[in-house]
Amino acid sequence: MRITRLVVVPLAALTWLGLAAPCADAGGLSVPVQYTKLDNGLKVVLSPDPTAATAVVAVYYNIGFRIEPKDRTGFAHLFEHMMFQGSANLGKMEFIKLVQKNGGLLNGSTRFDFTNYFQIVPPNTVKTILWAEADRMRSLAITQDNLTNQQGVVKNEVKVNVLNQPYGGFPWIDMPQVANVNWYNAHNFYGDLEDLDAATLDDVKRFFETYYAPNNAVLVVTGNVDAPQTLGWIREYFGPIKAVTQPAKPDIAEPPQQEEKRASKSYPQAPRPALAVAYHVPPRFSPEYYAMGLIDQILLQGDDSRLYQALVRKGGYTGEVEGGINYPLGTMFDVNGPTLWMSSLFHDRGRSADDILEAFDTEIEGVRTTPVDQATLDLAKVKMRSRLYGQIEQFSGMGLANLLACFALFDDDPALVNRLEDEFAKVTPALVQRTADQYLRRTNRTVLTVEPKPESPAAAGDVR
Amino acid sequence: MRRLPALCVLIATLAAAPASAQKQAPPTPGTPKDFVLPTPTRFTLPNGLKVTMVQYGAIPKVRVLLSVAAGNVEEAASEVWLADVTTALMTEGTTKRSGAELALAAARMGGSIGAGAGPARASVSGEVLSEFAADMVRLVAEVAQTPAFPAGELERIRADKLRQLALQKSTPQGMAEAKFAEVTYGDHSYGRMFPTEAALEGYTIDQVRRFHEAKFSAARSRLYVVGRFDRAAVEQAAREAFGGWKAGTATEPPRAKPTSARVVHVVDKPGAVQSTLIIGLPVIDPSHPDWIPLSVTNTLLGGYFSSRVTSNIREAKGYTYSPSSSVNSHPGDAYWAQSADVTTAVTGASLKEIFFEIDRLQAEPPSEAELDAVKNYQAGTFVFQNSQRGGISGQLQFLDLYGLPDDYLTGYVRRVRAVTPATVQEMAKKYIDDARATIVVVGDRKVIESQVSEFGPVK
Repeated sequence: MRITRLVVVPLAALTWLGLAAPCADAGGLSVPVQYTKLDNGLKVVLSPDPTAATAVVAVYYNIGFRIEPKDRTGFAHLFEHMMFQGSANLGKMEFIKLVQKNGGLLNGSTRFDFTNYFQIVPPNTVKTILWAEADRMRSLAITQDNLTNQQGVVKNEVKVNVLNQPYGGFPWIDMPQVANVNWYNAHNFYGDLEDLDAATLDDVKRFFETYYAPNNAVLVVTGNVDAPQTLGWIREYFGPIKAVTQPAKPDIAEPPQQEEKRASKSYPQAPRPALAVAYHVPPRFSPEYYAMGLIDQILLQGDDSRLYQALVRKGGYTGEVEGGINYPLGTMFDVNGPTLWMSSLFHDRGRSADDILEAFDTEIEGVRTTPVDQATLDLAKVKMRSRLYGQIEQFSGMGLANLLACFALFDDDPALVNRLEDEFAKVTPALVQRTADQYLRRTNRTVLTVEPKPESPAAAGDVR
Repeated sequence: MRRLPALCVLIATLAAAPASAQKQAPPTPGTPKDFVLPTPTRFTLPNGLKVTMVQYGAIPKVRVLLSVAAGNVEEAASEVWLADVTTALMTEGTTKRSGAELALAAARMGGSIGAGAGPARASVSGEVLSEFAADMVRLVAEVAQTPAFPAGELERIRADKLRQLALQKSTPQGMAEAKFAEVTYGDHSYGRMFPTEAALEGYTIDQVRRFHEAKFSAARSRLYVVGRFDRAAVEQAAREAFGGWKAGTATEPPRAKPTSARVVHVVDKPGAVQSTLIIGLPVIDPSHPDWIPLSVTNTLLGGYFSSRVTSNIREAKGYTYSPSSSVNSHPGDAYWAQSADVTTAVTGASLKEIFFEIDRLQAEPPSEAELDAVKNYQAGTFVFQNSQRGGISGQLQFLDLYGLPDDYLTGYVRRVRAVTPATVQEMAKKYIDDARATIVVVGDRKVIESQVSEFGPVK
């Protein structure tokens, strides 16, 4: 495909005009970042914003589903649920009610490399919320009834999101299991129902005592707060919690892939075939990683992207190509180990996966064999910047807290948020081509297809 | 279409455990800071286009939204999803540029442009970096006024819509919503969630052009610009780019007359590991004075994690993951509904608990403490809603759709705070009448039929 009439993006697109935004100026992002470590090892990041109507309190623990116990698939996520079931001073439902009755929102989530807990609250309630977060970091207190109840809830979560869906775990649970070979990257992280059932109160206690320690966590507070006062409360509530020696991290490295892999899943309730393609990506924050971020913009993100043009507009194979790095559970910024760049689409019978792959490969080979022109690269950088700003403001400041937490937890460098644009700016057409050539080779990818319900005469009409 | 994989806890429940004497109490929150809603600026063009602008936020981005009276409610019975096909084709090119060029123009502004149809309204919108606000206004105007409707793209868009239809109809949530809509709204457009394949296959490019010609015009549209932007430049762009648009005629869409009856509608999904439930009935719409008290009542009953139904069927019983109730509205009508996906074996038990909670609320008022928590939650989340560009443009559109004054927003927190326990009980009795509630169950009929038959005649 060709994008015609590409002109150089004017400089104005690369910088902010003189709008009085505290977080951005002509030099790019400048988010306030105050980074402290308490004596017990707890990392603390504060990012005050006096213009915000709300505040965010987020705690990220350095334990994701990737490294959960081998005989307990889904345990990291089940455990996340337990953190809402009670602590020394807050019984079951009391944490949740405390946040909600103060006008706040809360949630938790489990990802490859972290488990997080966050509250978006009126700024005047931050002290109360910090006290409650410290209480559950210090003193999980749950019963067998709580565990049994949440085993039921989590099994229903797996059912509603996977087992009772026509496409099951395609592609988000299925692809990591076929694209990876190291168990830590390749197991069913939502959990087999038997494993979820097998979890005991002892497992819960041991997991909490091991991983839920201040020296394995970061606390982020953003929004309309006074930094010195907030830090004072944090020292008061979190300071006395004891550090715990952390076990050695298992080897999560994924061996280099040598041959293209093909896999097929049969989903008899699915009305149409589907296709996903995933490549292993460069190491986190290497120059190639930033280049991969821009390749994603060029090939996959937005209706102007090459794959959209080729597969949707020109080929008419599908209405939409979804995907990205660490898709769909996160972004290139919030994962700390082997991850994939994935594209995924639904298509009709009568258009074979191989035909679609041929059109797909034309675009992939394009970036591998021909350097992108400067205008294309500049456009990718504008899109990346806009997307970054979108992430930062997402969910009333939770998006910013997510970046700060991950950069503190994984890189010990939350201020990286202000240097991302510089890192992307350094990417050259030559680096894009080199990265594409090395990582977008067929031998580095996995193709996953969905076999839908058998064709019936009534379904013949969908061959178009 | 499909539920976003979340792996989230999705907060929930009720019953406060009595705190033991040794427990510490949480520190008391400080004094709340004032929250002031951003003030809109409004003007109307001579052709009738109403423009609303709100300066908001610190991030230099802007949202431009053109809302048009061209939603599914404007379709004839034989035209289901014609609005969807029309709007999908609008971004496939204008008289000035191709679809690819449109996408590229928006991408250069750091954003994208899209068009789509909802039950009540259609929209053309984009979100871009601030310095391109006026450019985006012009691009939205171009797409709204001069789509080329390339005949060659119709087959592709048709195939996309057929595929979307098949995918949506294959999820249990899609099946349940379509059945609930059908039995609640009957022959009205809101009762026809999905077209037949044959109908989709029949739409012609001339039909698309006629739909656009009749429904897209200045007097039928409103433009919202929310975020950081140069106000004078945006106003000038709006006047220039939309000033020449034909006025057209603003028409009232046909009002729906939703009904309900205590009948269990079973949609068979053999082998399903869960039953997808919707229990609901028509209620008053947002222009009625009971709207906010009813909304508070809904939150307490099933609308947030600490609600009674969630506390019961999730946090006490473990029957389900993400139950929730809501009040959903169109201009002129609304319905209340509780939804839940529950393990098949406890389908009947879940219905029993949901009705138990409705009956309990009708029988006795909630405590002041329980209601205060709901009111604080609702006031707090109202602030969040109004702290995001999308939320603000949504609220402004809501005011316009229902003919509500700005006071609806500025007085919202005050009205929420005025709701009393007795009012909540009265709302539950008056509106959430379980004797009239429609029940939809998508599940394994042979397993669940005996479980659900005690809740009403089974269809």
